[in-house]
Amino acid sequence: MNTIEFNRATIRFNESFSLADIEWRIAPREIWAITGANGSGKSALVATLAGKGEIMSGSIEGIPPGVGVVSLEAQAELIERERERDDSDITDEISQGTPVAQMLDEVSTNSDLLDRLIEMFRFAPLLGRGFRKLSTGETRKVLLTRALTCDPEMLVLDNPFEGLDADTVPQVREMLRQKSNEITMVLVFNRFDEIPDFVTHIVYLENGSIKYKIETRDSSAVEALSQLLHLKKTDIEIPKADLNEKIPVLDDSSPLVRIRNASIRYGQNTVFQNLDWCIWPQQHWQLTGPNGSGKTCLLNLITGDHPQSYSNDIFVFGYQRGSGESIWDIKQYIGYVSTSLLWEYRVSINLINVVISGFYDSIGLYNEASASEKRIALQWLRLLGLEGQADQPFNCLSYGEQRLLLIARAMVKHPPLLILDEPCLGLDDINRQLILALIEKICLGSESTVLYVNHHAEDKIKGIKYHLSLG
Amino acid sequence: MANYFNTLTLRQQLSQLGKCEFMDPSEFSDGSNYLLGKKIVVIGCGSQGLNQGLNLRDSGLDVSYTLREAAITEQRQSWKNATENGFAVGTYAELIPGADLVLNLTPDKQHGAVVTEVVPLMKQNSCLSYSHGFNIVEEGMHIRSDITVIMVAPKCPGTEVREEYKRGFGVPTLIAVHEDNDPRAEGLAIAKAYAAGTGGHRAGVLMSSFIAEVKSDLMGEQTILCGMLQTGSLLCFDKMVENGVEPGYAAKLVQYGWETVGEALKHGGITNMMDRLSNPAKIRAFELAQEMKDIMRPLYLKHMDDIMTGDFSSGMMDDWANGDKKLLDWRKETGETVFESTESSDPEIPEQEYFDHGILMVAMVKAGVELAFETMTSAGIKEESAYYESLHETPLIANLIARKKLFEMNSIISDTAEYGCYLYNHACQPLLSDFMAKVDTDVIGRGLGLNDFYVDNHRLIEVNAAIRNHPVEAVGKTLRAHMRAMKKIV
Repeated sequence: MNTIEFNRATIRFNESFSLADIEWRIAPREIWAITGANGSGKSALVATLAGKGEIMSGSIEGIPPGVGVVSLEAQAELIERERERDDSDITDEISQGTPVAQMLDEVSTNSDLLDRLIEMFRFAPLLGRGFRKLSTGETRKVLLTRALTCDPEMLVLDNPFEGLDADTVPQVREMLRQKSNEITMVLVFNRFDEIPDFVTHIVYLENGSIKYKIETRDSSAVEALSQLLHLKKTDIEIPKADLNEKIPVLDDSSPLVRIRNASIRYGQNTVFQNLDWCIWPQQHWQLTGPNGSGKTCLLNLITGDHPQSYSNDIFVFGYQRGSGESIWDIKQYIGYVSTSLLWEYRVSINLINVVISGFYDSIGLYNEASASEKRIALQWLRLLGLEGQADQPFNCLSYGEQRLLLIARAMVKHPPLLILDEPCLGLDDINRQLILALIEKICLGSESTVLYVNHHAEDKIKGIKYHLSLG
Repeated sequence: MANYFNTLTLRQQLSQLGKCEFMDPSEFSDGSNYLLGKKIVVIGCGSQGLNQGLNLRDSGLDVSYTLREAAITEQRQSWKNATENGFAVGTYAELIPGADLVLNLTPDKQHGAVVTEVVPLMKQNSCLSYSHGFNIVEEGMHIRSDITVIMVAPKCPGTEVREEYKRGFGVPTLIAVHEDNDPRAEGLAIAKAYAAGTGGHRAGVLMSSFIAEVKSDLMGEQTILCGMLQTGSLLCFDKMVENGVEPGYAAKLVQYGWETVGEALKHGGITNMMDRLSNPAKIRAFELAQEMKDIMRPLYLKHMDDIMTGDFSSGMMDDWANGDKKLLDWRKETGETVFESTESSDPEIPEQEYFDHGILMVAMVKAGVELAFETMTSAGIKEESAYYESLHETPLIANLIARKKLFEMNSIISDTAEYGCYLYNHACQPLLSDFMAKVDTDVIGRGLGLNDFYVDNHRLIEVNAAIRNHPVEAVGKTLRAHMRAMKKIV
């Protein structure tokens, strides 16, 4: 591989975002980590290495043909490809999707490594399953496997550890360490503490430009950067609920959720069985389990998004499921955020309406918002530092910013049950601290009961005392 | 069985054809309560069947699926679709007798056989629902007189019906009651509750009749939707290749051009589609469309007349009885066209170029949509029906051509649409041959190539006014306002 050179390159991505004046040299076998706040251009910068964006001035030279990429953008492209291949809208037959085995075979040239990764990621039972049927973590593993086994000259990994279960992270880190002696890597990290020790250089981005470039040998520079990233926001004030909203009052003497002897099955495959769970008001729960253990399935039994909600014994918010209630009767009590919501939220809408849609449990906004709803939504945008962009389109935001907004959407109505499925994925250190602080405050208050899923031991929440572990 | 429409008096025919009103949202304040606690049994578990069932259940209704015995014992895909989603599944004999409402969501062509088998099993005073009225109106099927017969037809594919529901919205839906089968006068209440259960009431419900639905659906699908796009594809492609445009580029411009143009149409009607052209190109497209409308008008009238008299459907049913001989021959013929066998070239064509180099295609869409709309409304069909069966569905077929080209597009659409599409194409190609001899690659394939975009102000104002004041634009604007959740076609 040759040296890659960015010469005062200005690269445009959409109407509201460009990278400006990028000067950058990546020599062979250097390992770069890119950091910066959400929306600073981290993903955009690595996307240029995959040929994305329109070069408006300057130049980019020396990008090798074989680049292995893992990013939310690459994931979105694969999901989109699956949607395009899905002909069920025209054939009237339900599509099963491209099986994992084929997703891996179509790019892999290194079959030894492929076998090793299949074992390490415990893929064997998943090989026949459709790509879109995988859980968030499993999907990430497929992307990583594709990138590693296509014999790349360079690896571009946007948050390589994101969504992986705690057991897998050290294994992947070790594998990357071995590869670091052979090939060039550009890695994006939202969290400073995830940057591995084999990284040779760090780039810090701000508003679409490179603010700092440092070598990791220079420990004082690294120390200074780390402090910069940990400036804490203080005095968080959670915007109040809308007093005009009328969610029917719940009976305090019965649980919010009671699941009895539940099981989820696809054909011969059992995700879990004999599961009992009871959630009482003000009992905050943390849910853990390895990728594919059924965490999201379980949450979807509660939200009503899982079709097998009806074949299980589930009592939620005073309704026995399947007794004539509608899913909107259920959803009015829930605020919800997850990675799949990010993929489902594909409508053209501006930022403020995304937050307001939380009052209506809808994707997109189909109702006329009241003045008080708008006022509260603006308060949330201010808290997230996005109030200046209230009228901007949602799909022009980075994935990290989109997630922040969906968290606000989940919290905006102060729901009796707040379900946060790995809320901090894709968030930078400062926003993560903000969100964790928000969740802590909510746990201390008396309106919402919190149900929290995460993989990061560091992201513990004070106030969560109950714990359910799957798998 | 006799053609039902032809048994009616002229007065009845006109009154049925003219039925189509946009229902006020307040009519749905009761949601799907009318069906609460009733047993709903769906026949068929394809994409429409499964996705409508999922929505109805999420609205609190009791839904199960009935399949042929073989599909159950062999655990076919339809059985898996239903059971993996937690639905009860049983044979006709097991489930139909207990059903209060039976939803027939099998392909149109099977309706005759399925209904004949199912109705004797249905209990007294129950209800049978269709999603398309061909079996009742054209085949003249009689349903036992104690049974209520309704139609509920979401105007989008099943996947979209589900996706929009999950977002908290719905897709536009047409409902109708078969007046000969409404013994307890509850057909409308059932249809409304069913439409609300699928989320359709949030995107707008049109109250129509079996007859208006069938006659307008047949007219739209065989003229503008499948017919015009097929004829236009072949003519535009051949013209470009004949005049030296690289065949791979020509194939790509045609295959994806309809979709790009259709996307503009979907969001802002003919006005927006035409506004995507430069001013000189817009005037050219307008003039081409006017000329084609004059040439093609007799053909549109003939299609409408044949549909009204029943000649079209009796001719087609003869072919059904003859093992689809004509249909299969014509399908084969389409598969052998040069357009079909030419590989589209690789390089992306920028979105705007589809307009700039496809002026004739834009003109064809405009001419076809307006003619179909005008012909239908002059035959007594209401503007709302005519809009849905012309402009609204054009982007859907355009999307199909982008994904599958013509041969597969024809295999996928209903046999009724396909048969009519070939009839149209066979007549329309020769009709346009003199016209096509006069046009060149400036309007199809290469663009006008202007440096100076001068237009006469008066002429532009005249053309803009003619585009914007066409009646399809006024009704389209109202109906689109109800579908605020417009999203890009995947």
